[in-house]
Amino acid sequence: MIAEPAHRTDGAPQAGAEVGPRSEGARPGSPTVRLLPPGPDDRLRFRRARWQSRQRLERQLHDGASLRISALALKLGVVRHHIASAAPDLDGSIDDLQDQLHAVLQELREIAGRIYPTLLDEAGLGPALRGAGDRCEATVRVQAPDRRFDPAAEGAAYFAVADLLGALGPDSDVAIVVGDDGGALVVTVEGVPVEYAGRMLDEVAGLDGTIDVTGGTGVGTITARIPCA
Amino acid sequence: MRVALAEDGALFREGLLMLLQAAGHDIVGATADGDALLDLLATEPCDVAILDIRMPPEPDGGLITAERLRAKYPDMGLLFLSHYAESHYLMRILDIGTEAVGYRLKEKVGSVDVLSDTLDRIRDGEIVIEPVLAKRLVERPRGEKKGLVASLSERETDVLKLMAEGRSNNGIAGQLFVTPKAVEKHIANIFGKLGLHADTSENHRRVLAVLEYLRAQRDDD
Repeated sequence: MIAEPAHRTDGAPQAGAEVGPRSEGARPGSPTVRLLPPGPDDRLRFRRARWQSRQRLERQLHDGASLRISALALKLGVVRHHIASAAPDLDGSIDDLQDQLHAVLQELREIAGRIYPTLLDEAGLGPALRGAGDRCEATVRVQAPDRRFDPAAEGAAYFAVADLLGALGPDSDVAIVVGDDGGALVVTVEGVPVEYAGRMLDEVAGLDGTIDVTGGTGVGTITARIPCA
Repeated sequence: MRVALAEDGALFREGLLMLLQAAGHDIVGATADGDALLDLLATEPCDVAILDIRMPPEPDGGLITAERLRAKYPDMGLLFLSHYAESHYLMRILDIGTEAVGYRLKEKVGSVDVLSDTLDRIRDGEIVIEPVLAKRLVERPRGEKKGLVASLSERETDVLKLMAEGRSNNGIAGQLFVTPKAVEKHIANIFGKLGLHADTSENHRRVLAVLEYLRAQRDDD
């Protein structure tokens, strides 16, 4: 498995970069080198790489563990076919094992989806946001172009909006419009409490994204704009 | 039945071949991608082609291959297998064809009975939809339909789920251990409550009407 890079707080000096006298300085003769804190470009590159590694993790779950378990489910079916008449008890146990394999796969799919949604990888923001809309309580409409944006921008936009949808009740009626403005990915979410704007900023700020809010203090419109690589 | 198969995961392909053999089907061939399957089927006819959705040609070679197969051999049944039961893919599959198509989770066809039942129904022209997905469609319909679907009785909800799986009246009757006549009555009640006015004389149209209803969204999709 590829380990996910540790989370760093944006803007703060990197703790690992502070080389104190207790570490390097303890060895006489070797010069102490202080790493420069990452510049804005480095941080952006780091964030984009993180999204790409998430995408790879999702594919690894799909191509590795999931495929292996699915194949096992089929092979159990073959075994059952060969012993069915002789051992009815075994038949039931295999049924049970196959049900458990299905449950494990559903859990793996859930994990894969939290790392990077398969639909986002395969089909883009429109289908992925519609999927998120289906799973939440609120009524959600999505308008999105077929064109694709870079995986980092799509990932950040997806999680910013999906988290927001998950927090809404059944009375909410939300309209989401995905668009492209001079190379930036723009997502407009209408009909949501504007107090959620801060949480959306957390998701998009790392990619130099911005959040605009219209509609005062109650229900309004939040617009996220994320520059693409 | 004559069956062909395209799946890029060698382990799964092997398992499925073993299961198809155990079920007594005649395997025309198995390939690791859609293009190779097309080449194969140019000389070897088959009744149902089994396709992994996510395989070469990337990204979703199963769907592209299916479009080509449907254009070339309109009578050939198509069974899509996937790790994901998503309504997004269901809609794309129904765009390719609304007859003799199936969409199932990979690990859910793991018995000779289920696999053969799925293949038989497809060969007979039915739509076969993964029960996990049918259940989700019925339990989480889009938008304002939530209230209407919630007004159905428990039995009617069961019937609706089986319809969303693509089952015929006789198929539903068999699953619920009731007479086809009782199923007819339930379906009339369901259509009344949901305000659906589709032509109710034919199974197939009815299934499509139910799927469209559960999925219908206003301006997109």
